[in-house]
Amino acid sequence: MVAVLEKRNLRDFDWLTATLAVAIVCFGVWQIYNAQPTESYWSKQITGLFIALVALVVIAATDYRRVIDYAPIFYGLGLVLLALVLVPGLGVKVNGQQAWLKLPVIGQFQPSEFVKVPTILMLAKYFGARKLGSLQFKEILVGVLILAAPVGLIMLEPDAGQAMTYFPILATILFLSAIKIRYVVLMLAAGLILMPLAYYAGVQTGKIKNYQQERINVILDPENADPRGYGYHTVQSMITVGKGGLSGIKGDLETSQAKLKFLPEPQTDFIFAVTAENTGFIGCISLLLAYAMLLSRLIAGARQAPDRAGMLVIMAIVGSLTFQIFINVGMALGFLPVIGVPLPLMSAGLSAVLSTFIAIGFVISVKMRRFVN
Amino acid sequence: MKLNDQAQNLGVRVGAIQVIAFVFLAILGVRLYYLQLVKGEYYSDKAENQRIRLIPIPAPRGAIFDRNGKLLVDSRPTYNVTLSNEPIKKIDITERFEDYAGGLNVDRQYLVERINLIRKQPGFETMVLKENATIQDIAWVKAHEEEYPELRIELQPQRFYPLGTVLAHVLGYVGEISPKQLEKPEVIEKGFRPGDIIGKGGLEQSYDEFLRGKPGYRKVIVDSRGRVQSELETVPAQAGQDLVTTIDLDLQMAAEEQLANSATKRGTIVAMDPNNGEVLVMASAPSFDPNAFVTRIATPEGRREIAGYYTNEQRPLLNRAIQGRYPPGSTWKIPESIGALQQGVITVAQSNVACGGGITIGNKFTRCMGSHGSPPLSYAITRSCDGYYYRLALKMKIEGLIEMIEEFEFDKRTGVDLPNEKVSQTPKSWMPSVVKREGKWSDIRTVYASIGQDTVVATPIAMLRAIAPVGVAGRMYVPHFLKEFKAIAAVGDEGSPNYIPAKPSFGYSQPEPKIIEMTADQNKIMVDGMLGAVNTPGGTAGGARIEGFDVAGKTGTAQVAELGKDVGANKDHAWFVSFAPAPKPEIAAIALIENSGFGGRNSAPAVRAVYQAYLAKHRPEIADAAKEGSQKNADRQSSGAVD
Repeated sequence: MVAVLEKRNLRDFDWLTATLAVAIVCFGVWQIYNAQPTESYWSKQITGLFIALVALVVIAATDYRRVIDYAPIFYGLGLVLLALVLVPGLGVKVNGQQAWLKLPVIGQFQPSEFVKVPTILMLAKYFGARKLGSLQFKEILVGVLILAAPVGLIMLEPDAGQAMTYFPILATILFLSAIKIRYVVLMLAAGLILMPLAYYAGVQTGKIKNYQQERINVILDPENADPRGYGYHTVQSMITVGKGGLSGIKGDLETSQAKLKFLPEPQTDFIFAVTAENTGFIGCISLLLAYAMLLSRLIAGARQAPDRAGMLVIMAIVGSLTFQIFINVGMALGFLPVIGVPLPLMSAGLSAVLSTFIAIGFVISVKMRRFVN
Repeated sequence: MKLNDQAQNLGVRVGAIQVIAFVFLAILGVRLYYLQLVKGEYYSDKAENQRIRLIPIPAPRGAIFDRNGKLLVDSRPTYNVTLSNEPIKKIDITERFEDYAGGLNVDRQYLVERINLIRKQPGFETMVLKENATIQDIAWVKAHEEEYPELRIELQPQRFYPLGTVLAHVLGYVGEISPKQLEKPEVIEKGFRPGDIIGKGGLEQSYDEFLRGKPGYRKVIVDSRGRVQSELETVPAQAGQDLVTTIDLDLQMAAEEQLANSATKRGTIVAMDPNNGEVLVMASAPSFDPNAFVTRIATPEGRREIAGYYTNEQRPLLNRAIQGRYPPGSTWKIPESIGALQQGVITVAQSNVACGGGITIGNKFTRCMGSHGSPPLSYAITRSCDGYYYRLALKMKIEGLIEMIEEFEFDKRTGVDLPNEKVSQTPKSWMPSVVKREGKWSDIRTVYASIGQDTVVATPIAMLRAIAPVGVAGRMYVPHFLKEFKAIAAVGDEGSPNYIPAKPSFGYSQPEPKIIEMTADQNKIMVDGMLGAVNTPGGTAGGARIEGFDVAGKTGTAQVAELGKDVGANKDHAWFVSFAPAPKPEIAAIALIENSGFGGRNSAPAVRAVYQAYLAKHRPEIADAAKEGSQKNADRQSSGAVD
């Protein structure tokens, strides 16, 4: 594999970005251990890190332009995987969601995590090839359709959290494909007005279930929410975060919120709360700074991308990562409703780490080839 | 790619995305600052509150013994099914009560009532769903651990009254502290919490503080389902002190038997040591089973049983000895005579007062049961001559009677160490309302009061306390049950914050006795009269006579209804009050049998039986001799019918 990397490639390899990503995962492994010291999640995560690292290097060494050329094939394969998830017998149901695929040899994984990458590539291919000038309505429609296929399949699982993480991909790509600013403003305004309206309509017609309403209500008024009901997760997460204080509980795992099972899903959805409890404000701010540095590195890479498609790939990944970080941490901090979105590079789960490393591999690949043409 | 080359402002847009990303991260940072640094302590407390629990370790309640060390009350280990508050906060638990009721065989309605009462209280942590859980109950709870994490099995010593109805009124019972009691500031001050067991009634209540001990606790860490994960600290409990009472169980059993075999099975027998006020016997019938309030309170049958106690017209919960108030009838003549002697209305040398077979006040004739001429005091006592006392009281005037009432403290509680003692009612307490209603206190009321009727109702304990001093040169003691509280050892290491020091043993601190002033002559004339009532032919109380043990006594037959209607349920109350042996008594006893008729026939033999039980223990030789003479006694009993 090292043979693949020529000497020049090695020099241009973005060591800092890769190191930042690995460092965050290592920090995450520590927190997963804190969350579930007696379970094997943390050791599995280390295994996952090595697999992901290999994938990162392979992707980085591959010319992303070749890959983008084949984007439709990957995209199609991705859709097939998402469809297979829904096939009884192949798809595995966890917590009422049929989001997992169990295949021989490969094992069990979550296609909705991976399909993000081919979706990004597909969108980048389409929008990267277009001519200059303002975005046409037809082009927007094609973009929406490219996104709608995987999102639609994911909604059938149903996994609204994962489906949501696809939207910032398209939003970023449209924004960077010369969509008229007035459309952006218009869409933002429409969103601000329509969201409460849609919520109200949903409540009135019963489309939004009681537990979903509860999750919203607890955000608006955590003190009066039913701490034993659906608001429980939010309240417990806030307690866990707050308890951490400035520097955390310093390894007193016996009385940790996760150990005593007050905090649900501590190794995945609420890994940030575990981090907050164990490392306090100092640890959390360090993590957020690490994310900020990583995102800055990626954006810097996008600015240097040799072509439009490469830039779009990187920025779509930036958009997706930013969105996931914000949703997940916002949920842990009790100001966003509970949605099952993993925290990139932190949450336990091979699929999530692998797909994020593949995405970062692409970024490095793009950056490595910035001087080529 | 050179972004600047593009016609579209791509560089700016990428920058915008970067700014948005940083703004998002900044928002998270600010929120983090708020939660962790501004409100960190608040959430830290919240986290601690939800994981730390204090599980009480009940203190074994002190046992209660009779004066000879015979066990009257103790505790035995039982398992309780408890409901802890934490897992059920804010959910409607009443829906689950159907399941509990079925699984644990408890009364659903009872559970609903209790949870509604108890969950409003701030200190509520656990509620006992079922005491005395069976193996089946425990298995049921264990089997439903996942479904009902709020249920727990706790070991709890439970009060047990092996004697059942015997001594029930004296011992009282224990139960959960009531919400009403919990509102009282002095109760809050002592740190009582909902669900605490306290004494209710009887000695359990009077000496609760010493019997209760000091509960300890285990400070534990629980998980989100309330399951104990680890223990932080254990503070052991200090057991309550054992109480040795003045009760003599053998005498008590004799008294209980007398009441059980009495004509109406309603009444009371009290015996005490006149030399110090120690109560040897206090029986009241009908009685109740204190175990009903402890072990059966949660079962439907038990609750019906308890409800029955409250609705029963015979009032089994009433301690007739201290809460029953009855016209004392002729027993009243003893303190009255002493009062007259003290006041100089009669003297030892000149104690004759006319009987006249009765007296006419206005146009109403009130008769005496016989015609006794103009008898001296001792003869009047022996024969219980009403006419004598009609005229004596008129000489004393009502003021004289009231002076006597105050002398013998009929206007106060006796101070017996039992809760809820009633005060006797006398002309002193009636005077204001009678004068208000009738304009004056008329002579006829004085005449009635002279024979312990009309405006006089006294508690048996007050009568016994008034008459017992006659045998002991006028020393009037406070009747009491406390003989000794046993010492209890210290708990914990000295100097540690959880150290509970040892408690020393202590006895009853008898106040200086009130002295009823009598000269030796006066005292002798009283004792002679009372001895005569029991021991001379024609005395009213021959039924109490014991050969070789000089019983001095006085009968009383208190009218409940007018003459002619005094039959059946309205029959007279039968009294007998006494001490023995004269002139140096060791025991004083009183019996009251409700609505049974003549005191001499119904109550004197009951007291005699108690004396015989006493003799069997302390003077077996007299007891044996007395048994032989009992046939002779029975004959006398039937002849001494006049009261």
